[in-house]
Amino acid sequence: MAQLPDGRALPGKLFIVEGIDGSGKSTQLDLLRKWLIGQGYCVAFSEWNSSPLVKATTKRGKKKRLLTPTSFSLIHAADFADRLERQILPALKAGAIVLADRYIYTAFGRDVARGVSPTWVRKVYAFAVKPTVAFYFRVPLEESLRRILSGRPKLKYYEAGMDIGLSDDPYESFSLFQSRILEEYDKMVDEFGLTVVDATLPLVKQQEIVREIITPLLGGALRAEPSAWREVLAAESVYGRYLDEVLPERSEP
Amino acid sequence: MTEIRFYGEGLAGFTRTEPLPGRFIVLEGTDGVGRSTQIALLREWIESKGYAVRSTGLKRSELAGRGIKEAMRGHTLGLLTANLFYATDMVDRLEKVIIPALRAGFVVLTDRYIYSIIARALVRGVDPTWIRDIFGFALIPDAVFYLHADLPHLIPRVLNARGFDYWESGMDFLPYRDYYDAFVEYQTRLLAQFDAIAEEYSFCHIDATQSIRHVFQKLTAEIEKVLADMRPISPHEAQKELDEAQAQSLPTKRKSV
Repeated sequence: MAQLPDGRALPGKLFIVEGIDGSGKSTQLDLLRKWLIGQGYCVAFSEWNSSPLVKATTKRGKKKRLLTPTSFSLIHAADFADRLERQILPALKAGAIVLADRYIYTAFGRDVARGVSPTWVRKVYAFAVKPTVAFYFRVPLEESLRRILSGRPKLKYYEAGMDIGLSDDPYESFSLFQSRILEEYDKMVDEFGLTVVDATLPLVKQQEIVREIITPLLGGALRAEPSAWREVLAAESVYGRYLDEVLPERSEP
Repeated sequence: MTEIRFYGEGLAGFTRTEPLPGRFIVLEGTDGVGRSTQIALLREWIESKGYAVRSTGLKRSELAGRGIKEAMRGHTLGLLTANLFYATDMVDRLEKVIIPALRAGFVVLTDRYIYSIIARALVRGVDPTWIRDIFGFALIPDAVFYLHADLPHLIPRVLNARGFDYWESGMDFLPYRDYYDAFVEYQTRLLAQFDAIAEEYSFCHIDATQSIRHVFQKLTAEIEKVLADMRPISPHEAQKELDEAQAQSLPTKRKSV
């Protein structure tokens, strides 16, 4: 049951994934999303740091390196609030399934790793909906670093935690920063009852575990109209060449 | 001296404990009460007494000022988002403008502070604990002057200035189609909320229904007390202090990736 902060239950289901970079959580959420759509559910999706109203400001702050730990925390909270107010909450009220790639626990992990007060940041996000299930894809630090750093990517300033001065070397800074976040995540498992998934297991096995956990919770979730346009196409023997212009996602079954 | 006291947890990474040599002065009050006029007058007056002055106000941060203005032009800015956006703007100015200026010995004049944001949020039904918790990072000012005028005095001033504004009339949440009706209802509720906040935070109450000259004299009499034991510092000298402090913090900022 997804719940409002005051404990009232919402008809929709909120499943969120958390984990450090390189834990494979986004891949798992994507697989889950496709599967749920295939099952005929109405699925909304929300990704961390993607609010159309706020993200230009965040981008500007990162590019010009204007962000401090506190302003970094608040601008991400604003981004989350906008997505909650306009995407997540309306969909949950309508009874849909909402999938979120990263949730408030990402802020708790990163902001506290940056030196922000753990109690303050939890109060800032007090308006958040409590997820039906919060999956935490746990992966050892070495494994996640191997996955991320093996291609020697160019790490961004804030992504590597360079703003808090852990090290002048971006790779070392990133490793230290990630290890701090990992520590915070591990503390949150009990605090928030996160559902831990071993992210070193094969992808397919992890997906099986996730589906097994959520399947019994899907009762009453809103179902999407099974693509009514297919019937029209079949009955009239037309191809539907202009449908791409009007359908947001013409995904094949 | 501005003592280092915050409303809550304070700012992450801020470790200084000794007082800041500047003075932190806030002017609060509703739309049309004459804050910006008084700030312009006060700024000149304080400078003429030999002090350096910095002024700032809502939506003027380098980080978020433009973003808020753009978001407010549309019709999609939600209540929680707006408050967090304002908080971002506030903390950016606090960390980048207000505190550095106080550290360098400026008198900082602020056109609205967290109280306006809190009052507007409360009128719109935001959780009162939540909105106060967010501003746990806010530095407590040396003085807060609350310019107060009743609705019959405010309406002609607002009309003379720029007319009724969408947000300042509460058009985003009140069930009126008419700006005048909405303005009257919104400002009535806001004034009541402000009065309660003025009590809560012990503002210095200034009757703003009187002439600009009279209000100005009231303010200068009060501000003289705030400046009483402050050593005059020329704008040039204060600016030098500020530049030096900023130059010291630059190397970490420039660290390449």
